[in-house]
Amino acid sequence: MKTQRLIHPAGWLLLALFIAGSFGFFEVHYRYFYRFLEQYMLFQTTEGYWRDLLGEPGGGIEYLAEFLTQYFTIPGFSSATIALLLGAIAGGLALFLNTAGCAHPMGLALLPGLLFWFFPQESIAPLLTVAVACWSAVGYNSISRWAWLRYLVGFLLLTLTYFWAAPANLLVGLFLGMAELSRREGTKSGLVAVAWLAVAALLPLVAMRTCFVVPMREAYLSKYMCHPEYPIPSSLIVFGLAYPLTAAVALLWGNRVLIRKARWRLPLAVGALCVLMAWPFLTCKNPMEQAYRYDDYARRSDWKAIVTDAQKRGVKDINALVYVNLALSHTGQMANGLFHFPQIGVEGLIPKEPKSRLGLIQASEVAWQVGQVNAAQRFAFVGVLSAQRCVQPRLMKRLVESYLVNGEYRAAEKYIRILEASPRYRDWAKEQRVLLDPAKAAQADWVVAKRKQLPLTDNPFDLTVTYPSAIAYLVDDHPDNQAAFEYAMAYLLIYKDLGTFMHYMELKRQRGEAFPKAYQEAICLYFAMNADPKLFKQYPISDEVKGRFMRFMQQARTLTPVTAKAQYGDTYYYYAQFMRTPKEQ
Amino acid sequence: MRIKAIKGLWIFCICLIGWAVTACTEQPQQAEERAEYPAIFPDYVGVTIPYNIAPLNFRLDFPAERCYLRVGDQTYSGKQSIRMDEKKWRKLLEANKGGQIEVELYTKQEGVWSRWKPFTITVSEKPIDSHLVYRLIEPGYEKWHIVGIYQRDLTTFEETPIIRNDMTGYNCMNCHSFCMGDPGQMLFHMRAANGATYLLQNGKLQKLNTKTNETVSNLTYPAWHPSGRYVTTSVNTIRQFFHSVKERKMEVFDMESDVVVYDVQQQAILSAASLITKSDYETFPAFSPDGKWLYFCSTPAVEMPANYEQIRYNLCRVAFDAKQGAIQLPIDTLVRADHLSATFPRLSPDGRFLLYTETAYGQFPIWHTDAEQRMLRLSDRTQVDMSQMNSEDTDSYHSWSSGSDWVVFSSRRDNGLYTLPYFCAIDAEGHPAKPFLLPQEDPEKYDYQLYSYNLPELVKGRVEISPYEIQQVALNEQPKQVSFK
Repeated sequence: MKTQRLIHPAGWLLLALFIAGSFGFFEVHYRYFYRFLEQYMLFQTTEGYWRDLLGEPGGGIEYLAEFLTQYFTIPGFSSATIALLLGAIAGGLALFLNTAGCAHPMGLALLPGLLFWFFPQESIAPLLTVAVACWSAVGYNSISRWAWLRYLVGFLLLTLTYFWAAPANLLVGLFLGMAELSRREGTKSGLVAVAWLAVAALLPLVAMRTCFVVPMREAYLSKYMCHPEYPIPSSLIVFGLAYPLTAAVALLWGNRVLIRKARWRLPLAVGALCVLMAWPFLTCKNPMEQAYRYDDYARRSDWKAIVTDAQKRGVKDINALVYVNLALSHTGQMANGLFHFPQIGVEGLIPKEPKSRLGLIQASEVAWQVGQVNAAQRFAFVGVLSAQRCVQPRLMKRLVESYLVNGEYRAAEKYIRILEASPRYRDWAKEQRVLLDPAKAAQADWVVAKRKQLPLTDNPFDLTVTYPSAIAYLVDDHPDNQAAFEYAMAYLLIYKDLGTFMHYMELKRQRGEAFPKAYQEAICLYFAMNADPKLFKQYPISDEVKGRFMRFMQQARTLTPVTAKAQYGDTYYYYAQFMRTPKEQ
Repeated sequence: MRIKAIKGLWIFCICLIGWAVTACTEQPQQAEERAEYPAIFPDYVGVTIPYNIAPLNFRLDFPAERCYLRVGDQTYSGKQSIRMDEKKWRKLLEANKGGQIEVELYTKQEGVWSRWKPFTITVSEKPIDSHLVYRLIEPGYEKWHIVGIYQRDLTTFEETPIIRNDMTGYNCMNCHSFCMGDPGQMLFHMRAANGATYLLQNGKLQKLNTKTNETVSNLTYPAWHPSGRYVTTSVNTIRQFFHSVKERKMEVFDMESDVVVYDVQQQAILSAASLITKSDYETFPAFSPDGKWLYFCSTPAVEMPANYEQIRYNLCRVAFDAKQGAIQLPIDTLVRADHLSATFPRLSPDGRFLLYTETAYGQFPIWHTDAEQRMLRLSDRTQVDMSQMNSEDTDSYHSWSSGSDWVVFSSRRDNGLYTLPYFCAIDAEGHPAKPFLLPQEDPEKYDYQLYSYNLPELVKGRVEISPYEIQQVALNEQPKQVSFK
């Protein structure tokens, strides 16, 4: 083997540029996606957690991935982590290629990393796995003098990477094979390369019979690379194989030079990399970005930010709409603000029979907001148990809250204890522990407020299946439950059921409550169709609302759709007259 | 000079370790006397245990800096928990078989040692069956994710999977049942992907499609005939709904249900041995240990779910002729459901006692906090006082040890949500001792585990079939259709 050379400074420049580009790309396009994913891991400091993870193939990598992921809600952390890991992989691969005799490997080593831009995975475990594989290969290839030591290290690396970082062992096997072949020691190189590949491929089979009881797929790929219940994403396979393929191409290419003039090489390489990075940067579209963004705001109870953002950018997605409506409820703007956003029916208020990750979170949030604590608890519970790792700390927090409200302190303590074992959630959990004392819980404002709204009448109706009946029970039990009332009225107004709406308005009038503008508009519309001047006068409708409605009635037939929308688009009667009624569930 | 220095360092290190070990396990000399028993989890104060159980490791239920334990002639120390040596523990139990072990616990809080009121653990000379088989499942509502049927060697801490659903397409698996605690004769179901009933007998695993035109569903809640030739099960159309008030969570009920007997040899459901009626709901059957009686729960059919709160199940039995494979009427009602509902009848292997669960209504009591264990002495049909065994929370499914001296039952007494397996000694008169929770090597395991122990079944040995064998049958074989005769 030739004397080892460190990577050319130009290579480091490319690497730095790539890391910076990666940081920018993920910060712009996937910041909220990775913040969302943070809540599907729960790093714990308990012995059992550590032991359980290390008792599975690839558990070491998962431990590290979960440790790092807990900080993903810190601004910039997820993007920086991904960028650095992509950089570490590229650096490792370049060093490996360099030690294997490739003179200028950095340009090629960076290319597979761009695949992660196009196909970002749900966990950083694949990145850590590839990083471990690349640097293991570097370590192996750095031993050139004593073959026996190299073989010993190779065997240890394969074994350790299997148990702690599977499927890194498969990549390590390929890299080690390539390293041996690049030594060009004839048959011996070929035999050793085959041996490494065989060891890498057979280790999982041996482990299945001796160490683990796991399905074949998990034995080879570990269950942490992707969701084990779904098919392996082809993007993950492509990403994983891209590195050994690149290495093979680089080694075959050897020291041949693509651009003969040395002074052109760096500018051209930088230019090419910039073009390659600019393309996904500018064309990337993440349709769920708004929903994940609102989910992050909702987690931080920054409801105003959701409303402000929706007013500025519009609502692009049904999941975002659920959060917008929820934010309107939290900020007390639901009655008047509802029709400022495109309403699509019940599914814009609460997801129907939620099964997805986001759907279960939203259903729990809405149920909690309207005071249906049992339902909030149930959706939280299903959200936790159906999560890939059977943990969902945000929903576990909801479980704690709901058990505290219901007075089920021992169940609350179970989840408090689990959250206390997590550095990320420890402080929150400790705060809740105080409330395990029933006397203290009974004095906590939020507990008192929730308990005040607890359903009194038992019924089997599910908010996500039979929304009108379920919400009606909540309103009937507690007419002063503002959130439930507004959600119920939202349903009636969206479906233009003014008859039932007026039933509740009558009760509201009898209680002497104020009427929001949108309700006044709906009342005007109702009485325009059902003339009863005497009764109409009993409702506190402002002169401004009355006057505007009268003008609308006079002009409605003559206005063009554009003018009508411009002049009356913010009113309920505009929605009732011109917008199509959503289909009933 | 250098060698001397290294030697000196070694000696210093050994002394240091020796001092640390002795200092850690040394009995505190000055301690404040506490009049109450220590709060430990699991609660092992005053329990009765079999002589072949694994060490009763525990943790303190309050914060402490250190703790020191003297159990019999052995001493242990720890910070917040105590883990005992398995070999020493076995010797201790052997030496005290039929007697009692004195336990003395010291804890150090804010620099001050306390000596808690000593307690005893009674060591029964009656062994418990060596293995416990259970399903680990999230105590879920309508969804499951990771489910597995596991076996635990009760004499050690070894837990191994019999089958886990990540090997069979993340399906549901349930209702494992053994013939008189024989690990070689087992039955369980898989639902959804690879759905079938799996029956292990004579070392061969059969995959069966048990839905017939004459029965309302696949075989559901099973129990074996002692001969191993028959399995009685219910067939149920199960529904559930969720309550909206905080006092209740969910309800599981049958829209219709019958009891059938499956003949393993003929691979047929026997109509002559089945109770298929439209006028009644029958469920949760079990054979008597002599095989001559078929026990089951029954109630007149009513409109469901409208009457879910009014439905109460009687505990009945009917004679069974194993030679003919037929039941012989009349039906004998053992427990009449005047005010409460009876479910899960299980007879002691000596045939003297009938253990069942009682709840306010319905037959699926896991979400009923009022559910309690009841024991009927069959010789005179009188009730045995079970208050020692029951708790304020749900106490439900149970299984007998082959010697009739122990039962295991699932209980939610610890947190009201996760069911955990408790063992209870039953004396010759049927009286229970204070139950104890299945011990774990890591006493904090229950704190962080997010699974319930469902259907704990005591088994006389290890289930030898490998998970991979079950996986192969589940994935590669077509289910054989059973007939209805």
